Amino acid sequence: MEKILEIKNLSVIRKQKEKFVPVLNDINFSIEKDELFCLVGESGCGKTSLALSIMKLLPKSFTVKSGEIFVNGKNILAMDEQSIRSMRGREMSIIFQDPGAYLDPLFTIGVHMKEAFHGDTKQQQVLMTSALKEVGLEPYMLHSYPHQLSGGQQQRVMIAMALINKPSLVIADEPTTALDILTTYQIINLLDTIRKKYHPGMLFITHDLKLATKIGTRTGIMYNGYIVEIFIPGKTRPAHPYSSILMGTEYKYSRISEATLSWQSDICPFFEKCPERDSECEKQIAFTWYQDMTGIRCIKHGRNSQV
Amino acid sequence: MKRFFQRLRNHSKLAYFSFWFLVFFYIVSFFADILAPYHFDYQFRNKPYQPPTKIHFIDESGHFHIRPFVYNMIIDDPVFRTYREDQSTRYPVKFIVNGPERKIFFVFKTSKYLFGVDEPAGIFLFGTDTYGRDIFSRLLYGGRISLSISIVGVLISFTLGMITGGIAGYFGGLIDQILMRFVEILMVFPSFYLMLSLRAMFPLNLSSIQVYFLIVLILSLIGWAGLARIIRGMVLSIKEEDYVLAAKSLGLSHWRILFFHIFPNTFSYTITALTISVPGYIIGEAALSLLGLGIQEPYPSWGNILSSTIGNLKVVGDAPWLLLAGVFIFAVLINFNLLGDALRNVLDPKNW
Ligand SMILES: Nc1ncnc2c1ncn2[C@@H]1O[C@H](COP(=O)(O)OP(=O)(O)O)[C@@H](O)[C@H]1O
Ligand code: SF4
Ligand SMILES: [Mg+2]
Repeated sequence: MEKILEIKNLSVIRKQKEKFVPVLNDINFSIEKDELFCLVGESGCGKTSLALSIMKLLPKSFTVKSGEIFVNGKNILAMDEQSIRSMRGREMSIIFQDPGAYLDPLFTIGVHMKEAFHGDTKQQQVLMTSALKEVGLEPYMLHSYPHQLSGGQQQRVMIAMALINKPSLVIADEPTTALDILTTYQIINLLDTIRKKYHPGMLFITHDLKLATKIGTRTGIMYNGYIVEIFIPGKTRPAHPYSSILMGTEYKYSRISEATLSWQSDICPFFEKCPERDSECEKQIAFTWYQDMTGIRCIKHGRNSQV
Repeated sequence: MKRFFQRLRNHSKLAYFSFWFLVFFYIVSFFADILAPYHFDYQFRNKPYQPPTKIHFIDESGHFHIRPFVYNMIIDDPVFRTYREDQSTRYPVKFIVNGPERKIFFVFKTSKYLFGVDEPAGIFLFGTDTYGRDIFSRLLYGGRISLSISIVGVLISFTLGMITGGIAGYFGGLIDQILMRFVEILMVFPSFYLMLSLRAMFPLNLSSIQVYFLIVLILSLIGWAGLARIIRGMVLSIKEEDYVLAAKSLGLSHWRILFFHIFPNTFSYTITALTISVPGYIIGEAALSLLGLGIQEPYPSWGNILSSTIGNLKVVGDAPWLLLAGVFIFAVLINFNLLGDALRNVLDPKNW
């Protein structure tokens, strides 16, 4: 299969009060064409940072310590600003969490769509209108200001903008977190329809594991800047203790407090909170890969059990 | 644009009025060459300090005339300069009259003016000054200079402040350091002394056009530094906004983002600040004129019309119309402030 996104050994650190804090550690995964890769984790675990690393839009205080990111086979971390800019919006695009804040309040939807469109200007008007129709909006909304639309409509605009150039990689960073439950399902259905039509590689970030297992072709679980498990919903069952907690099956999630940032890098990242930890876990734990592109970062739980 | 006026009117009827009042002032003074009955240095030597000419419809025998007319005014008592109307001849007010050629803004020629009367009578709506010059005409011409100085000055300040503050705030780093230190040096000097010392760098006997541009330059050099600092601060916060990140994710260039997303989002502040700062330029010019460093006679500006009056306070009691320049400055100042206050709300997208 054609690899749209490939991340190798990515580590990102962040400067905080003259100290360096790890944000992403040893991230390895890839997304193929037509795949919907879901990334799940509690807030602050580094999901947005990962998304912004791929767009090469990390805030100034963040530094990529090591690793490589390939989009359509191009090593984007090695590219200069000019060439990466020509990829943004065309080959890869991103949909953000709070659609209201990501639209410039001074400009109409039409102006935003024009900015997003990078094609032949003769086709611009036609394509803009059809893109709006595709996400279920009326053409007259081109003349509306962002604040005149509902949250769901704003998110539809963001989706239309992200997809207008038919990029091969679409990142959606918690696109429904700011929306109510009904609107959430409408947006999910919309993304699904669009994926079936254009077959992009999609990175769908959410904190909702149930949602991820419902829609994802593959799902990664993130904890404290590490990917601790990757599984295929419906085919393999997550086995990592943290995944189990997220699934709400084996342990009471309420007993687990928020992840602390000051962890030791040379032991299992989940050690501090793991109900199954023992002295064996006090060493560096590598991510074990399996044939079907799934894997786990735990020595107690091996191959994901089959469903 | 249409929506802007609607919003302005809905927000404040008073500010809406102010807006059109100012537009009216600017247009009228722009067309001074057509609207003024006399050229600014045209003198009626035998009519100094003449009070405003009365416009009559009914003559001394009680007859009504459709066409308004004036009488010639003759000095009665040369010591106290009391005037009386010579009612022997009526001088009808004529519209679209011919006269000596004038150049509208040094370019378009015109020899037709809106109205006038035949000499020896004169039509002085606001009276005359020491030299028997028509104050109404001088105020129109003076308004053209004072108001255009303010607008050109504001535009220069705005451009300088926007670009300097924008670049410093958006790109940061060394550029930011250099630009801001420079701005701070400018801001250390009290603006009035800075104005005087800048003026002192140039000779006194410049031509009027040179003085005009010099004043514009001096006033805008003083105005832009504070603006640059404030815009830099705004840009620093706006560039962290999510919509700027979104714009970057669409692959837009830095310049595109700076000019289309960051600058426009400072406008609700900058346009308000600039509106309120316009009168400062008119007053700055007046201050220079008061010290004899501004626009020189016979060229009129509101500043030097007022300053020649203030230098001659004895006659003001007898000829209060000489103070009209001050009234005009005050009216423009009040209206700019009213408008600026309303714009603060009207331009805020949250209120759209
Ligand atoms: N703009 C920023 N500047 C500094 N630190 C940030 C910024 N954004 C996020 N962080 C920090 O980086 C870490 C990872 O955050 P993030 O990637 O946003 O997590 P998530 O999206 O999973 O909630 C958190 O500790 C967060 O506090
Ligand atoms: S390696 Fe040990 S500590 Fe880490 S998740 Fe597995 S059981 Fe828990
Ligand atoms: Mg996030």
